Formats: sequence, structure tokens, C-alpha cells
Amino acid sequence: MRRLVFCFAVICMMSGSAAALWAETTLEKIERTGTLTIGTRTGSPPFAYVNKNNDWVGFSIDLVDQAILPALSKKLGKRIKLEKKESTPQTRIPLLTSNAVDLIAETMTDTKERRESVDFSVTFFVTGAQFLVKKGSPIKGIESIAGKRIAAQQGSTNAKIIRERVPNAKLLEFPDQPAAFQAVVQGQAEAYTNDGIQLAGLKAKAPNPNDWLIVGDFYSHEPYGMAMKKNEPDFLQIVNAGLMDAIKSGKYFELYDKWFGPKGEVPYPLAPETKRFLQMQVVPK
Amino acid sequence: MSYHFHWSVLWTGQSGTWLLQGLVTTLELSLLAWLLAVMLGIVSGALRTVPIPPLRWVSTFYVEFFRNVPLLVWMFFWYFAIPPLLPESLQNWLFDHGVEFWAGWFALGVYHGARFSEVMRSGIQSIPKTQFEAALSTGLTVPQAYRLIIIPIAVRLIIPPITNESLNLLKNSSVALTIGVAELTFQTRQIETYTAKAFEALTAGTLIYLMLCLAIAAIMAWVERRVAIPGMIAQNRAGEF
Repeated sequence: MRRLVFCFAVICMMSGSAAALWAETTLEKIERTGTLTIGTRTGSPPFAYVNKNNDWVGFSIDLVDQAILPALSKKLGKRIKLEKKESTPQTRIPLLTSNAVDLIAETMTDTKERRESVDFSVTFFVTGAQFLVKKGSPIKGIESIAGKRIAAQQGSTNAKIIRERVPNAKLLEFPDQPAAFQAVVQGQAEAYTNDGIQLAGLKAKAPNPNDWLIVGDFYSHEPYGMAMKKNEPDFLQIVNAGLMDAIKSGKYFELYDKWFGPKGEVPYPLAPETKRFLQMQVVPK
Repeated sequence: MSYHFHWSVLWTGQSGTWLLQGLVTTLELSLLAWLLAVMLGIVSGALRTVPIPPLRWVSTFYVEFFRNVPLLVWMFFWYFAIPPLLPESLQNWLFDHGVEFWAGWFALGVYHGARFSEVMRSGIQSIPKTQFEAALSTGLTVPQAYRLIIIPIAVRLIIPPITNESLNLLKNSSVALTIGVAELTFQTRQIETYTAKAFEALTAGTLIYLMLCLAIAAIMAWVERRVAIPGMIAQNRAGEF
């Protein structure tokens, strides 16, 4: 019994010192370690994925590297390194709250519920959910999925909307994009729903892109933001300033062109109204 | 720690219903898979000890093949690799009737059957050989000796390790979420999706698993006491340990 009390005391002391470490803000941690740790995806081209040469790259990663890192380095007066860790829809919020990563930079939709747990940067991409189907499929959009088997990614906003709007669709939820896509390839599901831009990425990377169609109007509005721990205004300020400067200076559009331009990984022209929206987010001097 | 818990997400909205649905699916999946595993385990475990080599080989192959491939791979195998081999009409029928549950059930049952089999074999081999010889000398055939003498004793002997394996099976049923079976872990993730409260949802899931496992352990302990043969495994009861 005495030994048990002793063990308990040791555990309490250890978690006490851990709590002291937790009290450090994200910005202080970045300054101390000289490293910005981001949580990002490995299978969401072109935002964040592992390419043919086994490099972990993407639009979201580039934005961090070329817009946010310079802003951080300038603010802290020293060069900050970038470190990447894998995050998934299920792990990204816990990764932030447990301080395992400082910033989530992938394809995370900014939502009201999520804002109760984390803070979001300004929007850096806007898309909406659609369907990826095999050529010749009767599915033309959300109006024609009743009774159909629809694959979705678990933990995504799309699955939630389908469940609410078309409750009689048979929703099959998979933990990641490759499994969900595989289910459509094999016929377990008749369509895969995700944000349009991600479907475009998946289609471009499929063995036979011409066998696939992306159908339907956007049935949701998905503004992507970078997420960070709640209530850390100094860090949020730097992230936002980095993104805004990149939009203002045109760096953002260069990167957009690199990934989504005619020669990019996933050609996806920037709609004029989206461009205008991005520019309007920039707070004037 | 700066994290603020909001436990109310677990009973507001649909969270409670989802947890309950997840619990029911986990129980269904585990129970059906357990029955399959016990059946396969007893048959295969017994076959591994019979004096007929080809039967031993078949059962050894089953055990080594199925227990040495990760359960996750088996889930994908039965869900993704098998249906394309079936006729298209049957495929569509299966896809419309929740094939993921049955693929998960089969993967879990067959995988754990291989593990149960080893437990069964150890139980049978712990019975003195003279017991088997005595059974044969009374005029029983080999199948009769197994059915009437060896297996009933062995099953009683292996209750503690079987409890262990059964708890593993219950917890491993969560792997089925990778092929889209809406079991308990799936539903805790669902709650996380809707509320962005991962810690609360996972804690609820953890507590439910813990309670299920404790209940199973208690039931198995009760069964162990009920079916004990005095003088065989009952001697260590009365609290020496």
C-alpha cells in the first residue's frame, strides 16, 4: 500500500512538471526549439502528399515554408526550421491540444464546431464537396444518391452533410482516402464524396484518369484554414500576417500556379471571385 | 493543462445514440466472431494433437498462416480482395447488404480461431497421455475419446487463457472500422467529427471498453468456477493466490 502511495506521488510530480512545460505558449516553444512543427497529410495531393520521389510536398506545405516560416523567422529574429508530422482528420485536433504539433497545414475545413476547440487562420483555399464516379455512373450529384452506396472519409465534413441531407444514402466511411477510393474502384461504393479539389487530385493521380468523372455542384462550402491551439493571439497573428503578405505580394498566386496551374500537379483554375475573396481578406496597413 | 473538458457533448445531440449503436455493433461483431473462433479453435486445436499426420499438417498450416498475418491485412483481404472473385450479381447483393460487417466478422473469427487453436492445443497437451490411453482402452474410438473425454477436460483447463484471448478479440474488433464497420471506436470518432471534442469522445469509448472487458472477465471467472472439476483445476481456488 505504501508503495502504491509512493508511485502515485511520483506520477503526480511527473505530471506536475509536464504541466509546467505545457504552460509554455506555442511561440515560446518555437523560439526555444528553433523549429515549427506542422501536422500535415501524406495522401492528399496536391495539398500535402508524398510524391514519386518520396518527398513530402504540397501546396499547404509550400505556404507554410514560404509564407509563414519567413514571418516567424522575422518576428523571432532567427531562422526557424520546419518539421512535418502526419495528421489525419481524427488526430489533428488532439495533436494540437497535446502540443505535438504547432500548426495544422493540410486540408482542414474551418467550421464552427472546430472553432470551439482550435483557432483558424484566414482562409487559404475555398472548395466544395462533389462526387467522384466511374464513367457511365447514374450518379450526377447529391440529388441522385438516394439509396446508393457512397464512400466518404470518416471525420470529414462531407459525411456529416450527407447523413443530414440524404439519410437514405448508404454511407460507407473509411479512415483514409486511399481505402475509400479503393472501395469505389472495386464497387463496394458507387461514388466517393470529398471536396472537389481533392477529388481532382485523386483523379489526376489515378492509373487511368479518363475513367473517372467528378460530378455534381458543390453541395457544401469548405473554406480551408490552418489550425492552431486556441487562445494564442500572438502566434495566430504571425500566421495570418504571413498568409496575408503572401496574398498581397503575389507569392500566394505563384504557389497556386505551381500546383494548380496548367502545368501543375492538379490543374484547377482559380475562379476570379475566389481570387477576389482571398485578396479581400488582407487587412490593409 | 490548458484543455477544458466539455463532458456534456457525450449526452447532448446524437452522441448517446451513436455510442449505444456502436456498443451494440461491437457486441454483435465480437460475439459472432467469438463463436466462430471458438469453433475453429477447438476443431483445429484438437486436430493438431491427433495421431494422424495429414490432419495435423492441415491444422498447423491454418494456425501459422492466419495468426502470422496482421489482422488489419486480413480485414482488407476479406473486404477488398475476395468480392471481385465472386459473380457480379452476388457482389452487388453483398455490397447492398453490409458486406463490411461480414468481412470484419470473418477476418476477426478466423484470425482469433488460429490463436484459440494454440490455446486449445496447450490445454489438450497438458492432459496426461494416460487419460487418452485409458479412454481408448475402454473401447472408445479416437473421435469419441476426443469428443467425450479430452475436449471437455481441455476446455475447462484453458478458461483463463481463453478469457485473455476473448478480451483481445473484443478489443481487436475495433480494427473493423478500417473497412467501415460502425462499431464503438468508429462512433467515438464520429462524435469527435461532430463536436471536435476528441478527448471526451475517446474517454467515453475507453470506459465502455473497460467495462465490457471487466464484465467478460467476471463472466468467465464465474464459468470457470461453475464447470471446474474438483481435483483438477480447483485446488488453487480458496485464495492461496
